[in-house]
Amino acid sequence: MPLGTLDRTPPPFFKQGTSALTKLLLFSAISLALMYADLRYNIVQPARWVLSLIVYPVQWVALRPQVLWDQMDDAFVGKQEALQSAETARAQLLSQAVRSTQVEQLTLENQHLRDLLQLRERMNTTAMAAEVLYEAADPFTRKMILDKGANSGIQTSSPVMDERGILGQVTRVHPLVSEITLVTDREHSIPVLNTRTGARGVAFGESGGAPLLELRYMATNADIEVGDILTTSGVDGVYPPGIPVAKVVKVERQADSVFARILCESLARVQGARHVMVLTPVKTALPGFQELPPPPQPIPKGGRR
Amino acid sequence: MIMPRGHQLLLPANPLFMFFSLVCALLLDMLQSMAWLGNAAWTPDWLALVLVFWAIHQPLKVGVGVAFVLGLITDVHQTSLLGQHALAYTVQGFLATMIHRRILWFDVPSQALQVLPVFMTAQVLELTVRVTAGGLFPGWSVFLAPVIQAILWPAISVVLLAPQRRAPDPDKNRPL
Repeated sequence: MPLGTLDRTPPPFFKQGTSALTKLLLFSAISLALMYADLRYNIVQPARWVLSLIVYPVQWVALRPQVLWDQMDDAFVGKQEALQSAETARAQLLSQAVRSTQVEQLTLENQHLRDLLQLRERMNTTAMAAEVLYEAADPFTRKMILDKGANSGIQTSSPVMDERGILGQVTRVHPLVSEITLVTDREHSIPVLNTRTGARGVAFGESGGAPLLELRYMATNADIEVGDILTTSGVDGVYPPGIPVAKVVKVERQADSVFARILCESLARVQGARHVMVLTPVKTALPGFQELPPPPQPIPKGGRR
Repeated sequence: MIMPRGHQLLLPANPLFMFFSLVCALLLDMLQSMAWLGNAAWTPDWLALVLVFWAIHQPLKVGVGVAFVLGLITDVHQTSLLGQHALAYTVQGFLATMIHRRILWFDVPSQALQVLPVFMTAQVLELTVRVTAGGLFPGWSVFLAPVIQAILWPAISVVLLAPQRRAPDPDKNRPL
């Protein structure tokens, strides 16, 4: 019985239930098993599905103040500001109009040239718009949660981009929401192409914790400069080629190392994106794509001796 | 009943209020991370704080089991490793149950000093598990979270014990 409370039931002297130590051992063992299973195998996903459905209403409630605040913010934007943004939009439209009129001609030209070179036609990837609900609270990773999940047909490994560039990749799909791992996450890597030189490489999330990418395995004497734009190269079969990814911000060349240390800044808004596009992975969009055959059944132990 | 001198005899805790306070703490955690501070490492874990509070004040009602379930929920919300918070909360629940007979003999600021190791142990455990599993080290500010939680202990003690401090026989002159 707790100290100093006026409880009306007599305290149980002998029936105290399972001891705290037993419970500690039991639940720690379960937690450890869950963590191991989550890391090594893909078998805890059903548990996540169920729990995410339970958590969703609470998250919905917790998101209301933010949504209300955003609405208030939108409602109280001054007239001047609105006019200004309309003006900039018009100017942007004008500058884009010049380019867009050229597009038709260029597309046609490109078509002819491709036909000439007998290149495979560039496929059109389908996209779905989604909204970012919130950044995942886990400080050990860089993830975001989208407001669309399995019910809207989101698949895992779909590339996600905002209007500036590649944001990341869908890594987990829940019934109503889905998780994307950002390009700046430590466990994320993306094949890129330097648009200035045409050199290919692989950019990894910065392991130091800063929201940057690191272009690894580039030789110290490689032609790379601060300000180079990296786009997706499309060799991975996941990301469609030619989408901007990052800009080189720092190149460190050390005499004692074979590789240069190249840091890049993500072009997409990895902190504070609101509207994003979820693309279909390139591989599934290819004409001859089929799922990998299931792995061969392991031979049961002790079957033949 | 043996109890420290000069302490007020408290009313029994309402299980509904306990449940409500735990849900509120969960909401506060979510609000803090989703709308406000993002995935900053130093943010206090309100749920752990309320959990340890009830595990110390009502060890028969809130203990290791409740902590485990709430940990799993937090894991799914935070998209962390499934079982990471479950383990941390389980350990916190256990440590709180271990010290609950002793700690209530102290005044509230000294209590805060004594729950600090409980929070710190859980944080170190979580950090160890995640860094071993391949997560990135989020910076030294992770160790600020347990300290903030311990500083919040007196405040949370006032708020969560308020319903039990009401008069047992409210009348016209003493409505609360």
